[in-house]
Amino acid sequence: QRKMRRTVPRSTLRKIIKKYKPQLRLAANADLLVHLNFLLFLHRLAEEARTNAFENKSKIIKPEHTISAAKVL
Amino acid sequence: MLKRVIQTQPQVSPLKPQISNHEGTEEAHPELPSKRVSSMGELQLPDLAAEDTFVTVFHLNKKRKKVSISEFERAADKRLFQNQAQSTLDNTTLFRSLRMSVGSLMAPDTVEKRGLLRRPRNRKAIDMEAFEGGVEQNMLKSNAQNYLVDSQSASGIRTTMMTSDAEIVLNNTELFVQPQLNERSQNKLSALEPQLSHSKTPAQRSKISDAAQDTARPEGLVSGVGTDEGRTQRHSENSGLDQEHIDRMAPVSPGTPANQQEDQQDYSQQSNPVEQVSVHEEEVAGSAEHSASAGYSEHLEKELAEEAELQITAAQDSRDKTDTAPSAGGGLAEGSVGPHVSPGAEHETAKGVGAGSLDRHSDALSSSEKSGMNPLEEDDEQDVLEDQAIMLDLDDPEEEPAEDESEHPESQEVKNFESEVRQCRLDLEETAMGSSQQRREVSMKTPAFVRAAAHNPLLSAPRDEKPAAPKSPVQLLKPKEVPGRSGTSQRKPREPQIARSLIKEVFSYFVKMPVTREAFKIVEKCSEKYFKQLSSDLEAYTNHAGRKTVEMADVEMLMRRQGLVTDKMPLNVLIERHLPLEYRRLLIPVAVSGNKVIP
Repeated sequence: QRKMRRTVPRSTLRKIIKKYKPQLRLAANADLLVHLNFLLFLHRLAEEARTNAFENKSKIIKPEHTISAAKVL
Repeated sequence: MLKRVIQTQPQVSPLKPQISNHEGTEEAHPELPSKRVSSMGELQLPDLAAEDTFVTVFHLNKKRKKVSISEFERAADKRLFQNQAQSTLDNTTLFRSLRMSVGSLMAPDTVEKRGLLRRPRNRKAIDMEAFEGGVEQNMLKSNAQNYLVDSQSASGIRTTMMTSDAEIVLNNTELFVQPQLNERSQNKLSALEPQLSHSKTPAQRSKISDAAQDTARPEGLVSGVGTDEGRTQRHSENSGLDQEHIDRMAPVSPGTPANQQEDQQDYSQQSNPVEQVSVHEEEVAGSAEHSASAGYSEHLEKELAEEAELQITAAQDSRDKTDTAPSAGGGLAEGSVGPHVSPGAEHETAKGVGAGSLDRHSDALSSSEKSGMNPLEEDDEQDVLEDQAIMLDLDDPEEEPAEDESEHPESQEVKNFESEVRQCRLDLEETAMGSSQQRREVSMKTPAFVRAAAHNPLLSAPRDEKPAAPKSPVQLLKPKEVPGRSGTSQRKPREPQIARSLIKEVFSYFVKMPVTREAFKIVEKCSEKYFKQLSSDLEAYTNHAGRKTVEMADVEMLMRRQGLVTDKMPLNVLIERHLPLEYRRLLIPVAVSGNKVIP
């Protein structure tokens, strides 16, 4: 369908986790799972925001839709 | 599905068809699905006619398959409930292979119930949304429950909630309020406020702290894992607020690993004595990861309960401490049961010698707490100071003998002045947490403090502490920062951020609608918060498993808790859906692509 990104930011992920939890270590491919988790989180957020926008009968995602979506999650 | 249809249809003679069905399924197991249909048809004579119609109608109503299947399932489920045993077998094996035939089976129902079709269809759309909403709520509840379940003691929960609440209160007073709070934290807040309102006489507090300590102690004694767990759980509880809090402080004092320590000092500067007390405790609680301070936190709780000054802070402290209690060695706790401050403190100090850095933290906390108390407590404070001085002496031999002598004379000087002692504690705390070099620097600085604040009477000590305090962190900061900076004042933050383009692409793809710039910024903020929470969750899980490295199982556990991975939705399916091929291959050891399986 679309052109998917081929490379996920593995090093950035590791840096972010290091930033918050410097003493925590990551297994070899665990960051991929973390990325998967992140994608699914965005997925859920997007679905919720889309639902909110529909309920507002708006065709565009507005910030308030996103905020209320984030509160639900 | 087939089974269900067949069984639901003939209600007149339930036994016979059941038997035949059962036989049919057992025989058909090894066979191909198509054969199965036919065999079942053969076995069930009374249903033959119906099945013929099934087959014929099959071709006609392919479109209605999806809707009718679910419909049919629902109806069949109701009726089948009585005849469950056999159906379970059938469902699992049949479902995958016989979707087509099920569609055909659906046909007669659809033919019969066409009038009802439309309503269920619309209902389903609504149900899905409501269901999703309900799922979200359930997830939230389950997540909240999971967190509740995870924590080892109810008091631990209370402490975490209290600390988060306290932090929120502090945040609101001190810094700009962030527009989005975690819902969990909000729930906790609302739950906490009634608790706060009920607080508490000192007796109750001491009771609570005692009870909590008693419960916490054996747990703490049991395993070191428990300590990490308590800490991390508390952290996970406080994650959103704690880290926001700390992160906000980070810009105030340039970011280093010693941020939290610096934050403590910043807090001491900015906050009122009241807040300072609780803030310090929270900071210490937050920094409990670095060092176990539970024993002395208990010690502090005792003192607080006795003095009974500030209900909120004291309550927070007690809960804080009870929460960190599991993480501490048990020895201190016993010592902390002393009734009076001074004798109790002395006893505690004597007993607590073995705890090392714990002593320092507790001292700092106790001293900071004392500062928060009214100046009426001078006598006690002096006693405490003396005790703390003693503790200093006691502590030194444990940590580094070289510093003992340097600190000892300083501590004696400091005896008379609350603020300096407190600063010493803070400094010592910092150094305990940081490198030994820093500690030496700090110890060098304490005499400056002592002399600077030498003139201040005890009464005004809290106020003087603030002007005195800024000197220390500033002085401390400079030596800390200079070596790392290479002379230039320019910062190189380079904070790791997820690429905006990635977020934009993923979000736009999932949402399938144009997104405004502001909305997108919100998404970015959410993702930052998400990562924070994710990292603390992962840490909690990993520590719970007694490991220091996050493994795949931990991340999977996280996804399970979030409801992404279920029994119906295994992890590998998710991997295959969302990750590109190269990573799939890495994560799933067997499957390479589509249908090929390479062992």
